[in-house]
Amino acid sequence: MYRIRFHGRGGQGMKTASRILGSAFFAEGFEVQDAPSYGAERRGAPIFATVRAAHAPILERGPMPQPGLVIVADETLLPMAAGGGVLSGMGERAVLLLHSAVDANTWKQRLQLACRVLTLPLRLEETGGRGFVGALCAGAAARLVGIVSREALEGAIRQELAAMPAQVLAANLTQAGEAYDAMKKHAGCVCEAPEAPAPGAVDANWIDLPFEAAELSAPDIHGALTSIQVRTGLWRTLRPVIDPERCSRCHWLCGSLCPDAAISPEAEGLPVIDYEHCKGCLVCVAVCPRHAIESIPEAQAREQEASP
Amino acid sequence: MSETIYRRMSDLPSTHLLGGGTAMCAGCGGLQALHQIYDVLGTKTVFVNAAGCMTLLSVYPFTPFRGSWLYTAMASAPAGAQGVRDALDILCDKGRLPRDEDLQVVTLTGDGAAYGMGLSATSGAIDRNLDFLYICYDNEGYGNTGQQSSPATPHGAHTATATGPAGHSGFKKDLFGIWVANRPAYVATVIGTEPLDLARKIEKAAKLSGPRLILALAPCPTGWDFDPQQAAEIGRLAVRTGIFPLKEYLDGRVVHTKVKRPRTPVEEYLRAQGRFQHLFEPERRQDVLDAIQARVDAYWEHWDPSH
Repeated sequence: MYRIRFHGRGGQGMKTASRILGSAFFAEGFEVQDAPSYGAERRGAPIFATVRAAHAPILERGPMPQPGLVIVADETLLPMAAGGGVLSGMGERAVLLLHSAVDANTWKQRLQLACRVLTLPLRLEETGGRGFVGALCAGAAARLVGIVSREALEGAIRQELAAMPAQVLAANLTQAGEAYDAMKKHAGCVCEAPEAPAPGAVDANWIDLPFEAAELSAPDIHGALTSIQVRTGLWRTLRPVIDPERCSRCHWLCGSLCPDAAISPEAEGLPVIDYEHCKGCLVCVAVCPRHAIESIPEAQAREQEASP
Repeated sequence: MSETIYRRMSDLPSTHLLGGGTAMCAGCGGLQALHQIYDVLGTKTVFVNAAGCMTLLSVYPFTPFRGSWLYTAMASAPAGAQGVRDALDILCDKGRLPRDEDLQVVTLTGDGAAYGMGLSATSGAIDRNLDFLYICYDNEGYGNTGQQSSPATPHGAHTATATGPAGHSGFKKDLFGIWVANRPAYVATVIGTEPLDLARKIEKAAKLSGPRLILALAPCPTGWDFDPQQAAEIGRLAVRTGIFPLKEYLDGRVVHTKVKRPRTPVEEYLRAQGRFQHLFEPERRQDVLDAIQARVDAYWEHWDPSH
């Protein structure tokens, strides 16, 4: 069975990538299962989608603990533990494909991985600036597994993007084709792995819950504002930075229009962005009348923070 | 003229009550409106939330609110509000809750519930003159499940269930008009990109009792297909083009609180969103564009005939 896991951010097209690859496998005569993770598929949030393909009925379900191929559309997801971790379950025979401007050897050393690491060069202009790389990633994956023909890939893209305007479809076909060609040298490097045997059946360790009065089983819980423990700042790929020189100390535009209420003024009236929760939508950058807020890549901001 | 504490932008709240860390999309126009609304309503509120995107605001053990929140099925938030209101009244009557600690009951739903599935429960709540504030964040589709068409979807928009060359064939239902026809205490439209107009309306609504609706247009980067950074510009275009009129109903009268003259052609609003791209490419659908503009023009011809 082939097991492929796509990681990206909501809006990058990883669900679509999984559907394209799944349909392409199906066209090649495989039994297929493809599914996005459910629950947190929000624009900018870390998401993943999985594809299983085999010549026999697929009995595995749920998340994919031991993938043969992991594709990461956004390198900033690599340090994050969310979603079980982008690199979780990658054995020596697995393949990691990163959509990144940094070369594969550097990544292999940085991540200290035993498995094969490949990169798909990052070319933002090709995605129309919108960051949709679903077809690109599906095209690369199709070649890496080695048994999906270009015709099956293109047919799957036409099927999955049927509702898109013709020029969007054409651009995606081109991107996918280029990614397919770029992976030629590595065609077939992703191996099939056998269906995992069911782990030795162990009796569930059931805990008996006795019937309780309502005030015990449904206690009043007073926990206001607990959402602030969720660090949605990790969604951010671009960071808004306020220039105190240019800021006029009007807090009400950026502060009111920030969807996440993540901007409030400090004592002197200078708005301060709560980077723990700012999702990087950049509405503040767009609305500041003094152009006092600029956006910089999150990775660059972290490097600046790290170096004194 | 009723007194307002929100005379100018600098009167708007600078610190915010709603917590960060929620699962709403980056650039969510609904959350933008909600956090402004919450700042004005204050903490003496209990939210009754129908299934929808904002269900994910409070996922145990996390909540961005400072008070209680109740989750109901999609069609029954106003019924849930009735139960909470009744319970509060009983507690007050029995002296177990001091009257000055009484809570504002706020129903929070998307347009799927407000315009469609939940409209029957809403109608019943209005019949019973329920004292509640209904907030609808209207992103013009069933956003949480992938933007299928809802009764709030505008004509021509592409949705997950309207993928044809002319988009959605229906027209956005007039929920404001449906409420007004019942002569409730207050009805208003708001948008997060007009925070001062929003704050004044919420301030007014909070002081009234009986059924009240706040209808917030919620530009939706995911469902409407635009870059999150464009969220504010699209909200402003919705007002400038006149496609989303800012208005309120009080004491038997409808008053428009922002009237743009001249109005920007509605095309500018449509062009900025992916869900309308099929009206421009590969070929321009002048017939659909004209139909949309004609409806906007007819609306304003009725309400603002001299311009």
